[in-house]
Order: sequence, then C-alpha cells, then structure tokens
Amino acid sequence: MSGRRPGGEARSSARTAAGKHRQDVELSIIVPLYNEEANVRPLWEAIRSAIAPTGIAYEVLLVDDGSSDATLAAAAALPAVHPEVRVVKLRRNYGQTAAMAAGIEHARGRVLVTMDGDLQNDPLDIPRFLETMQQGYDIVVGWRHDRKDKFWTRKLPSRIANRLIGKVTGVPIRDNGCSLKAYRADVIKKIPLYSEMHRFIPAMASLAGPRLAEIKVRHHARRYGTSKYGLSRVYRVLLDLLAVKTIIGFASRPAGWFALLAFPALVASAASLAASFYRLVALDEPFSTTIAGIGVLFGALAFFLIMIGMIGELVYKTGDSREDRLSMLTAQRVAACRDAVLTEREET
Amino acid sequence: MRRVQLSVVVPVGKRVDDIESLHYDYRRGLDRCGITYEMIYVLDGDRDEGRKLAELRTRGEPIEIIRLGRSFGEATALMVGFANAHGAKLMTLPAYFQVDSNEFPKLLAAAADADLVVAHRWPRRGSRFETLRRSAFHGLLRAITRQSFHDLGCGVRIMRRRVAKEITIYGDQHRLLPVLAAQQGFAVREVEVAQSPQDDFRGRYRLREYVHRLLDLFTVFFLTRFTKKPLRFFGMIGSATFAAGALFVAILIVQRMLFGMPLADRPALLLSCLLLVLGVQLFALGLLGELIIFTHAKDLKEYKVADVIEAPGRRGERKGAAVPDAGAAARGPDFPGITKATSG
Repeated sequence: MSGRRPGGEARSSARTAAGKHRQDVELSIIVPLYNEEANVRPLWEAIRSAIAPTGIAYEVLLVDDGSSDATLAAAAALPAVHPEVRVVKLRRNYGQTAAMAAGIEHARGRVLVTMDGDLQNDPLDIPRFLETMQQGYDIVVGWRHDRKDKFWTRKLPSRIANRLIGKVTGVPIRDNGCSLKAYRADVIKKIPLYSEMHRFIPAMASLAGPRLAEIKVRHHARRYGTSKYGLSRVYRVLLDLLAVKTIIGFASRPAGWFALLAFPALVASAASLAASFYRLVALDEPFSTTIAGIGVLFGALAFFLIMIGMIGELVYKTGDSREDRLSMLTAQRVAACRDAVLTEREET
Repeated sequence: MRRVQLSVVVPVGKRVDDIESLHYDYRRGLDRCGITYEMIYVLDGDRDEGRKLAELRTRGEPIEIIRLGRSFGEATALMVGFANAHGAKLMTLPAYFQVDSNEFPKLLAAAADADLVVAHRWPRRGSRFETLRRSAFHGLLRAITRQSFHDLGCGVRIMRRRVAKEITIYGDQHRLLPVLAAQQGFAVREVEVAQSPQDDFRGRYRLREYVHRLLDLFTVFFLTRFTKKPLRFFGMIGSATFAAGALFVAILIVQRMLFGMPLADRPALLLSCLLLVLGVQLFALGLLGELIIFTHAKDLKEYKVADVIEAPGRRGERKGAAVPDAGAAARGPDFPGITKATSG
C-alpha cells in the first residue's frame, strides 16, 4: 500500500492553476476502456458528431484500464489531432469503478458524463442529459428502457438486482447498470468510489442529498469486441449491497447500527438465561450448563457488537467522508436565488 | 543539489560481512557501470561498522553515513536511505556478499525499461533443505499473489525513485518490496545473476525466522487481496460459519421434535451456537472494515495513473495534477533528527 500520499498541497495549487481553464470546459465525457481497440475510434467519432453541433466546450477523457490489446495506442493517437481528447492511462487493470474514479479525478468540466466504451450507449443522448441538468438536477441517470441484451442472462437478473438495490438503498432507480449518467462535478468528485461501486454510484451519491432525475436512453447491441459481464457475480453484488447499506444508512452512527445487530443477540441471551433459571427453580430439574452457556455466549456476542460499534464511531470521527462535509455539496440558499448552490460561491 | 544517476543504499543491520572488503567490491562493480553514483550507508542503530565506514570516508571514499537512533529494521533503514538519496535511480545492496559485483552493469541495463529490478542469484549454492525451504516460500507466495518470484531474500534491487516514493515498508518488509511494487502496478523484473563467491549464508534460520516469513505471507495476502473489499472476505467466511451453525441447530431441533432427544444436556447445542456467534462476529468485523474504507477512501486510493496523454498545448496546464511525481519536494532530501555525516 502506498499509504498516505505526499503532495496534497501540490495538487490543490494545480487545481487553482487549472481553474482558468476549467471555466471554459463545460462538459467532460468519461469513458473507461478495457480491451476495446476496435471501438475507440468509432466511439470518438460518435461523441464528436453528437456534441460538436451543440457548441458546448467539452473534453473527452478516455481512461485506459490497463488494456492488453491496442486500445491505448488507438486512444493515444487522438489527442494530437483532436485536442478535446485526453487519455488517462492507468498503471494496470483496476476495474471499471477505479477507471471511472480516475476519469472523474482528472476531469475539468462542470458537468461530468460517464458512459461505456462498447458503443452500447448512444452519445446522441448526452445533450438531453445536459438539458435535464440545467433544470437544477445534480445527477441524471440513464434508463435503457429498450435493452438489446439477452433476456435470461442479462435483462432478468438486472431487473431483479435493480429492484433489490432500490429497496435496500432507498434510491429507486430502474437501471443502475446503465453507465450513461451525468453528474455535477462538485458533487461526484467528493463521493468516495472504490471496489466495484460503480453500480451503486447514485446510492452512494445519495449521501450528499442530490436532486436526481432519470431519463430514457437508447441502447444498441454490441458491435465489436466481447462483453465483460456475466452472471457469476451475484453473491459479490449482494455483499457489496450490504456494504453500501451499512455506509449510507449508518456511516454516521455506527454505534446505533451495531447496537441494532446486538439486539437479537441480547434477546437470545436473556431468553436462554431465563430458561435455565426457570428449569432450575420451577421445574426442579438439574442445572443445564448447555442452556446457561448459550445465554452467556449470546450475551458476549451482544457485548462484542456494541464494542465494535464504538470502534466504528472512532473510525467515523477520524475519517474525511463525513456527512457534515457531504451536506455542503448540495445545500441551497432557498430564500435567495433558487439555483445558487452554496459551494459555488468560491468559484465566482 | 547534486544530480547523480544512481543512489546506492546499503542498510547495515545485524548480518554484516567485512565492511571494508565489501565496500571495495561494490565500488569495483559500480565503476564498471560507467555512471555517476553516490553511496549511502544506513546504520540500523549503533553499530561498530560505523567506525570502519568513517575511516573509509576519511580515506576519501565518497560515501555518506546515516545512523538511526535505534535499530528499526532493514526496511526502515532502506526508507531513510531513500529519503536522503539524490539519484535518479535507487539501488539497494545488502551489507553482506550476495551477488557477484561484476553483474551490476547487467542489472542496470535491465532497469532501463522496468520500474524495479530484483536480482535472482542463479545458479545458487546451498543445501537441499535450503533449496526446499526457498521454493516452499516462493511457491506459497505465488499461490497467494499470482506473482512469480524466485529470490526475494536477495537484497540487490534497482528501482525508479517513484517506486520508493509510493511504497511504504517498515520493520521486516524489505523482502516484500518487489511484491508490493508489482501490486501497485509497477513493472517488476527478476534478473538472473551470478552468486557472489563469498556469499556464505549457511542456514542460520531459527524458528523465529520461519514465523516471521509466515507473517510476511499473511501481510501480503491481506494487502494484495482484500484491503478494498473487507466485507467480501469476512462476509464470505462469516456467512459460511453462520450457515454451518444454523444447520447444526436445525438438526438438533429436528432430533428434539421428532425423536424426543432432550436438548438441555447436549454440548452439541453449545457448539452450534458458538458457530452462529462466530459467524456474526466475522460479519460485524467485515462491516467495520467497510466503514474504515469508506471514511478513509481518500488515503487508500486504489488506482494509480501512469500518464495523461493530451494535446501538446495542454501539457503545462495540468502540471502536478496527474501526479506520479507530485510532491517530490514534500518529502525532501533531509530527514530531521537523523545523525548524518556527509563526505566533503
């Protein structure tokens, strides 16, 4: 592990230096690429023909996620000819979430749009995302209402997963798997993204309380290359979901969360102890080590969980993703001008 | 500031061969490379070799000597040496004979297109037992990390500054440096070199050493596999344990209901509840791990950007933002609180 990275100051000064430039880039389109050599050029052409007519100052960040084919070469040839393109090369393959996080970190636009590198999303939808953003939304997610995938292996599992994610996280989105999403840069840059969280970005972002919109998008069948998804990851998604639930539901009060888990153990403990006492006194049977032992065992578990909760409080207090900071991202001055977001004051 | 091409760091710890002949041997090897270099000896605590090295320096040998306040371990000594190095590349050498110094040019050539090069002494002398022990260690490591190394015990490595800057090692972890570097996405190469004729390590391994190597493997296991997904790891073991316990309880209850076997005097019930409890505890630890990752995600960034390629006109604008070498100044060449003696 690299641990703490030195040079925090260097980076923040770089941000102010780039500040002048940031103003003229309105839109950053972030595309993670992993072994998509055949798709790079068509993708860029599609994006250009979709965005250029709108006259928006934009940039395209192609993030090469350690591809083993010629993806990097194909992408690296673009910036010299088309200055709108920037290529972020990762040191090795880290996965889609990390690639998106890297793109988000290096993006300069005020609105960030993420999309897949396999041409299944249509860049022609992007202007509609921008229009929706202008209505005051912080996050706009796409919904592939007419999906061009196989039903049993792709569409059905995804429908079930979306229902479940919506129920558990309380952010009911019809299509979490659609990569085409737009974010206000200030918000998404502060949301921690790691592991395989890209599926849960809206849920994670809900920590900051953004206004969220969902719009229908087109969806094409894959033209080149092969799909990198499969059915095999169900249990991992379930565990991730539980992790996200823990984070968005209880990150700010871990003691409460663990106390909640401790409650059934406490009940089991009390019941066992009472039962062993009852047998001894009322039924006049010999003392049962087993039943009393179970009571003590569950009591110890409850105690353990409560202690873990206290450690959790400690962790939360020393971390930087705290809610008091996240709330600043979307707080609005309601009485004054409706669209003035507090955090934007720095920039004017 | 002097700009040399190579900084050589020699940590001087418990195991030391005759430092004078070692030094001249290294000098011969380094002079063959035809580059400018500096040598830094880091004394891990108060060691007798300090006097001999000081003597060498008064005789005009261009070396720098740093003494640590107490013994911190070889890895820490290396880190201190790196922090005081000025070279574009860093080389580590052990304070005892391992590699034939005639092979240094070969190593340096290999380092041209790799981020880290580690020497692999081959062919290797040693008893059959030693060979077996070595291959067992590296085999386990391969199984855990899917990285293939053959001689991590070799202290001869050449790396770019960037590697040393990004990787923090301490205590006994110097052997893991190549593993951790590969994990960070650096290009790591192993180069076969001739063993030094004076390399006379004769299996002085004690039980403690074995325990330490096992702990090393454990560390690597967690650092490389599960630091970012604690719930996947703990959750999987925890739910398996919990399921086993629940199944056990269910069997006991069925036996009670259908066959009238009394529950109260069955230790099996206690055992199955123990499994349930253990499962919940593991799960809770996994959740705690997730909380730690979430609240400290900034410090634990998992990806590394190798480069940002953009139109020439835009290069300057993002200086420092893309970051591989941002903060070079932050660490600075000088460490406060270190007894330092510099030659001329």
